[in-house]
Amino acid sequence: MIFGASGDLTARKLVPALYNLALQHLLPASFAVIGSARRAVTEDAFRTELHDAVAEFSRTRPINEEVWATFARSIHYVPTPDDSGFDELSRVLARIDGEIGANGNRLFYLATPPAAYEPIIRAIGAHDLRGATGWSRVVVEKPYGHDLESAMHLTSVIQEVFREDEVFRIDHYLGKETVQNILVLRFANSIFEPIWTRQYVDHVQITAAESIGIEERAGYYDSAGAMRDIVQNHLLQLLALVAMEPPSAFDDRSVRDEKVKVLRALRRIAPEEVGELTVRGQYGPGFIGGERVVGYGQETGVAPSSPTETYVALKCFIDNWRWEGTPFYIRTGKRLPKRSTEIAIRFRLAPHRIFTREASEGVDANELVLRIQPDEGISLTFGAKVPVQGLRIRSVNMDFGYGESFMVDAPDSYETLILDALRGDATLFTRRDEVEQQWAFVDPILAGWHAGRQELATYAAGTWGPEPAETLLARDGRTWRRP
Amino acid sequence: MDEAFWGARAASIDALERELARLRRAAVAHARERGQALARASVLNLVVYAEREIHARRAARAVADLALRHPSRAIIVLGDRRRDGVLASLQLHCHVPRSDGAQPVLYEQILARVRGDFDERVASVVIPLLVPDLPVFLWWTGTPPSDGRHVDDLVTLADRLIVDSADFARADLTLPEVARLARFRVGITDLNWARLTDWRELIAQFFDVPAWRPFLNGITGIRAGFAVDMDGRDIHPSQALLLLGWLASRLAWRPVERLAPSEAGGVLFKMARSDDAAVMVRLRPRFERGLDAGDVSGVRIQAALGGESAEFVIKRAPDQRHATATAIVGGTVRAERVVPLPALGIRELLGEELTIAGNDHVYEAALATLMALA
Repeated sequence: MIFGASGDLTARKLVPALYNLALQHLLPASFAVIGSARRAVTEDAFRTELHDAVAEFSRTRPINEEVWATFARSIHYVPTPDDSGFDELSRVLARIDGEIGANGNRLFYLATPPAAYEPIIRAIGAHDLRGATGWSRVVVEKPYGHDLESAMHLTSVIQEVFREDEVFRIDHYLGKETVQNILVLRFANSIFEPIWTRQYVDHVQITAAESIGIEERAGYYDSAGAMRDIVQNHLLQLLALVAMEPPSAFDDRSVRDEKVKVLRALRRIAPEEVGELTVRGQYGPGFIGGERVVGYGQETGVAPSSPTETYVALKCFIDNWRWEGTPFYIRTGKRLPKRSTEIAIRFRLAPHRIFTREASEGVDANELVLRIQPDEGISLTFGAKVPVQGLRIRSVNMDFGYGESFMVDAPDSYETLILDALRGDATLFTRRDEVEQQWAFVDPILAGWHAGRQELATYAAGTWGPEPAETLLARDGRTWRRP
Repeated sequence: MDEAFWGARAASIDALERELARLRRAAVAHARERGQALARASVLNLVVYAEREIHARRAARAVADLALRHPSRAIIVLGDRRRDGVLASLQLHCHVPRSDGAQPVLYEQILARVRGDFDERVASVVIPLLVPDLPVFLWWTGTPPSDGRHVDDLVTLADRLIVDSADFARADLTLPEVARLARFRVGITDLNWARLTDWRELIAQFFDVPAWRPFLNGITGIRAGFAVDMDGRDIHPSQALLLLGWLASRLAWRPVERLAPSEAGGVLFKMARSDDAAVMVRLRPRFERGLDAGDVSGVRIQAALGGESAEFVIKRAPDQRHATATAIVGGTVRAERVVPLPALGIRELLGEELTIAGNDHVYEAALATLMALA
């Protein structure tokens, strides 16, 4: 049951994901998708629209028409322009439920703008859209609130209708193969965990770089900014996965308990510290891939004087036994030179250098890099002798690429997450206390910025961010990686 | 025709990366069918900057030949100032295993042909194409301009800059410009310097002999010859100058004056040793069959110590593949040996330079001394 069925997310992600699940026969034998939105449109027209969307956006192309034909028959549409629409929806749900024998199992997906979450949740409650039997779950998209208070309020509204274990807050980063692989790398191998501590790790860098600008999202983005759009959810989740303690089991409760513990240990940056520990930037005009692009203030729908940040860099610490004193540098930005999300674990230099300066000039500290997108993979750099007479040492790269190693395309994160939600596995979804901890970390920084304690620095599009971001690391004698 | 040489064309950088990923996978699949494992073994990013198609192609061939020794991602930037817009095409090579048991290696070659007014945009094409974690070598073919946003931007990206001063039209003017690029904290390499490696070794080996070592502090004169073509029009003294810069920087000589050019494009310098005694240096062009213009053809080092004189001479044999190294002390030949001294091609020189990731302090010192001479 998708609310917001005429929106972009449904067309670009949800229905292509469902279709690909159908292709892989991962959907139940009997299954229906009911779309709903305010707009009046016939079921046939709705199916045609989705067909075209899948043809355009599916990761497997061309579209398999035979599979689509039967899949499309399970797609329905009910307009909900007002309250009476929900009565109709309730009847349709009951009818289809009887036809397909779903026993009242229902997954509600809120793919609408966030302002609609609350009325829809209330309508689900008021019109008894939950089945009388079976399970009901709700998937909530980001943004989940715009600060701690609004997030808590949203949770309280949802809990009028759904129990916490029925709420699936989606963070599509967590559905990515490499993100799940962070847990596998750390906890299915014995060689990494012993060195995954302050004794061996010099620092950690987490980067989420985008080369695109704000595209068509000016309305949302200009009110949110990079901190709310990326840091609050995606980057803090990545940080939690990298820094968490080993869970006792790979299930939703154990994994999320450990993540919350780390998020709680994440040292808060007080408003008066934002000048020292944070950087916010906004892109100006520049070049991306050889093309001239405009600055943020010249984007359509953005005021030239908009103070919204498109770049954030933070220096964070985790106050626990494992990470005391080890900085975690995180950054995200739009209009950076390339699209790349990665986590780099930088290890300490060898304690005692036995080789001459000349021999070891090309050597750097070991680095383990988890590439999350694009080109998912893992690489480890280490020093090796260059095959010449005499001794020259150089950093080389041991590289593991998913695409070349397994020869398959990783499933799209929405496929993974929708399937998990259908199965009731919430491991890769964000729990209430996680979201609240994330906002509790972000809110004081935003407050400090709002109070004018950190200037908005500009950077040219196509560069790796503003000057103060370099300074943030240079003060510690470090530099950002080139992703 | 372009595509036959440079590979498939891609519409954008994203499309190009997708195409590379596809080609990599196809190559891996192909290798697996033959029971081989194929490594995506990149050890460096090599950015080649060229403004002439012929230079770009020569560079591409040299890099392809080096793929087994230095598997790399090569990004060849061909600047063409005629039209606007950027086109990128790409080519992926897979070396066939040879009978000597060498493993097949994947390497990736990208051509970015930038057209029109590209100075400020060229870096935005190169940056997203660099493989993370690997050092960046920038090979600038031709003469680097003394300024220009594209020079600054590209050099800033690089860990090491490779030039070939043999290509410089006016080495005496351009070498100091190159030395100034060190402000970008880039290690600088000159293929012309690499051509001197054997010469430097041979010279140094004279003075490894304990009895002759003291002569090192008694050098009174240097004569070096470098090749010119038959009509003697193009004078390329940069290799000989670098050799002089090396000796002077190692032995802490000071430049005193540059005497009027000697005969036929030669140069005459007066330098001073650390004990203030004079060293006369003459670099002169000679026509030598079979040598590239600018290549050093011979060196004669004259020394005197406590009334005894000595000469240390290295001379290329007429076959241009050997050299004779002779030590004459007190008028008597004390040692003479013939050693192989092949003229190295771009490929060998580049291959050698790519093994060094840091700064070449000896070269930088030689260059600094040369700047003081100029």
